[in-house]
Amino acid sequence: MESSRKQRWRQLQSVFEPGFKQMLLISLLLHLLVPVLYYAPFFPQRDIRKPPVYRVNLVNKPVKNPQAGRPEAVAEKKKPEAKPAPKPEPKPLPPSPKPVAPKPEPVKPKPVPVKPKPEPQPEPKAVAKKPEVKPAPVPAPEPVKTGPTKAQESALEKRLREIREAQEKKAQETARKDRLAALKAAAVAESAKKSPIADAPVGMIGGKGDEEGVSAVAFVQEFIQQQWSFSKYQAAGNPQAEVKLFYSTDGELLHYKFLKKSGNEAFDDSLIRAITKSRQLPQALPEAMEFHIFFNLKDMLDRR
Amino acid sequence: MQKLTITRLVVMLFALTLLASGCAKKPVAEQTTMTEQPAQVEVQQQQPAGVAEQSVTDTGAGSYDAAAAARAAENAATSGLQRIHFDFDQYVLTDAAKTILVNNAGLLRAAPAIKVLIEGHCDERGSDEYNLALGEKRALATKNYLVSLGVPAERLSVISYGEEMPLDGARTKEAWAKNRRADFKVKR
Amino acid sequence: MKSLKVCFLISVLILSLSVTVFAARIEISSPGEQTIPLALTRLLPIGVGGAQPALAREFQEVLENDLEMSGLFEFVDPAAFLGDAERLGLSRTDIDFNQWRMLGSEALIKGGYSVSSGKVTIELRLYDVITQRLLTGRRYLGNSTDVRKIAHTFADQVLKSLTGEEGPFSTKIAYISNRTGHKELYLMDVDGYQPIRMTDHRSIVLNPDFSPTRKEVIFTSYKNGNPDLFRKEIYTGRESRVSLKPGLNIGGRYSPDGREIALTLSKDKNSELYLIGTDGTVHRRLTNHYGIDVDPTWSPNGQKIAFVSDRRGNPNIFIVNVHSLEVSRLTFEGKYNATPAWNPKDDRIAFARMDNGVFNVFTIREDGSDERQLTFGAGSKEHPRWSPDGRFLIYSHDLAGEKSIWIMRADGTGARRISAPGGNDIHPAWSVRW
Repeated sequence: MESSRKQRWRQLQSVFEPGFKQMLLISLLLHLLVPVLYYAPFFPQRDIRKPPVYRVNLVNKPVKNPQAGRPEAVAEKKKPEAKPAPKPEPKPLPPSPKPVAPKPEPVKPKPVPVKPKPEPQPEPKAVAKKPEVKPAPVPAPEPVKTGPTKAQESALEKRLREIREAQEKKAQETARKDRLAALKAAAVAESAKKSPIADAPVGMIGGKGDEEGVSAVAFVQEFIQQQWSFSKYQAAGNPQAEVKLFYSTDGELLHYKFLKKSGNEAFDDSLIRAITKSRQLPQALPEAMEFHIFFNLKDMLDRR
Repeated sequence: MQKLTITRLVVMLFALTLLASGCAKKPVAEQTTMTEQPAQVEVQQQQPAGVAEQSVTDTGAGSYDAAAAARAAENAATSGLQRIHFDFDQYVLTDAAKTILVNNAGLLRAAPAIKVLIEGHCDERGSDEYNLALGEKRALATKNYLVSLGVPAERLSVISYGEEMPLDGARTKEAWAKNRRADFKVKR
Repeated sequence: MKSLKVCFLISVLILSLSVTVFAARIEISSPGEQTIPLALTRLLPIGVGGAQPALAREFQEVLENDLEMSGLFEFVDPAAFLGDAERLGLSRTDIDFNQWRMLGSEALIKGGYSVSSGKVTIELRLYDVITQRLLTGRRYLGNSTDVRKIAHTFADQVLKSLTGEEGPFSTKIAYISNRTGHKELYLMDVDGYQPIRMTDHRSIVLNPDFSPTRKEVIFTSYKNGNPDLFRKEIYTGRESRVSLKPGLNIGGRYSPDGREIALTLSKDKNSELYLIGTDGTVHRRLTNHYGIDVDPTWSPNGQKIAFVSDRRGNPNIFIVNVHSLEVSRLTFEGKYNATPAWNPKDDRIAFARMDNGVFNVFTIREDGSDERQLTFGAGSKEHPRWSPDGRFLIYSHDLAGEKSIWIMRADGTGARRISAPGGNDIHPAWSVRW
């Protein structure tokens, strides 16, 4: 039994012998070639290279070369802490002498947009109620129904208009304040949630620069995405569009152009709305910038 | 074509074995299936069988009042035909059902003037359309078995009501078992 | 991925250093807001007719309900409406778009009405708040009883201008109800209002289907002692039998072109699918199997029919090609799959699966992929049918022993009851747009 088995094994070996090793080698080499080919830049990528997804806090300042840090960290909150605790690296700013001076400068302007926000927080409730209450006695239909002398009417209308305008202004202001407050609150809440380190520096995950803030590109991406409303129940097929936008340094949209429309009217219209809403960025940019934005619905879940 | 004939043969063989096994089981079945049927139904089952036997002997005697005898047989059939029951999503006759159908066939043979409408019914579970088809399968299986027992096919018609006419509207296993049935409606 | 990130950043750095203005490439792969903020203002009286708050309220309710059902919108809180909502100005120049924008709305509906001698005129505008553009403007004339209909019709238009596809709200739903003690055919609005009984057979009426081309319904009835297929013209009430073969004439479904009817016949002692003409003549036998074959439903192009068969043991969904008669199996999961309904707009097939005695609604692609469960929980949900635009499904929902008609979106969200209590309501069917 034993011997016959050995014999058979030898037979098998003899069959293998001639080219077996070479074959193994070749196969190994070929296998090695696969990843090499895969990673080698022989073939141009057909897809749009998807930039990394950043979560950006819109309260933070967009900068060119963001430092490493946490986008959800709030610049304003960090500052009072910076004085008593000079531990973290980016904070040699206050104690350190002149050579580093240029750096604190971009930091300082932040409090300007940030500071007014906490103030309205207690107010909005009181202010917000007024416009709700007043319109009831004011409404336009009244003059229509009564329709007395024209002079009376016009006087009435004028007063109404004045009141209305005043209300509107107030409402606008409160609405704006509300929004800012909400933004602020959300930012604070988020930073409280996500960064256990209270003095986490403001920056980008993977940031390599030396400026306190977030990448301007990520900032614009986040902002425009937030302005874009589109329902999955509007979607048909897989619409894609490409838009070129040109922003000035102070964050104003100078012009935009559709490089490619999706052909889906609802989709293209929603983009026009988003762009119109993004005419003025809430923060200045480090420089005039042009963006090519590819809009699609890849990440909209559970499409019909 | 060859494949077709082969599959046909296989199907026929299968059907034959089914038939054979069905026939073989028949005499044994009466006792074993008792447990599956509610006791009351079994009791009712015995009585009409007795009546049926009588009417057969009457017609055998023949001469003295044929019309009356026929009427008696018809009455016996009308009141004596028993409904049968089925398993869930099945139209194969159970042994208990076959036993009842043997009785029913006797009653029908004894009253050749009457025609019968066999109604197939289902329980409420399952889709309505599917149950309409299933009810018809049940009615047809019942009819075919009666025909095999010597009842002329022309006297038997079928209709399916699916799950539309339950005997018991409750949602219990007992109610569903009651509703899966074939009923016999006599048409004079 | 990391290296990609680094590459990207480096390229950004280099570019930003070398040129003052550079084009950054950004991909935005989902909207930040997945609903459209809509401000729906109250209908205001125009002209001399005088105010009819009840009319305005009813109109508002119907329109808001329809738009809510569409799932497209998030309504801007009416309590926050300011001066402009109370102002009649309907034209573009009259509207203070900035105000609406401040409230966060992107779409605005304004409207007015007038009533004179029983006639109602309702004028409506849908605006894009951001671009300050009129999206659709409509004026409707009708009797004062037509307010609901006008609201539904405008809701359809709103969907059309925001999605490109008209809504289904002005169509009708047929269903079977036993509220008279017999199962009869009924017709109602998509929101369940205005139910009308269509038959008085005092027998059993089942499983209606609308003609895609005529204002007509087919259904099965036992009126003449056999389950025959009937046809009924909706507005004349004229009724006739289409198919009265011995045995079953059930599950009739009009082909998409309205020329043929697929149904189950059992004239040859076994239930098989057939195609018949609208005059009842048999055109073609589609299945040939000793098992049960029922419940046909047409593919949108009329080339295929999905149906239920127990040819592999348990009831499952199969698809037959109308021309080649080739049959393929669609469902493999579950032990009891029934009542398929093919989406009139795409390749999804809805069906009901029974698990532990309870049916739930599922959808699956024509190729058998991407099966999704849309409904959950106790109480059978059966007999799904699509809206003509494929946006919604209706089905029969058994709640504590009473069956009623429910509607939901095609993704299973927004489910709500539409048929009123008072009977068992089953076998819904959705009309086309006439």
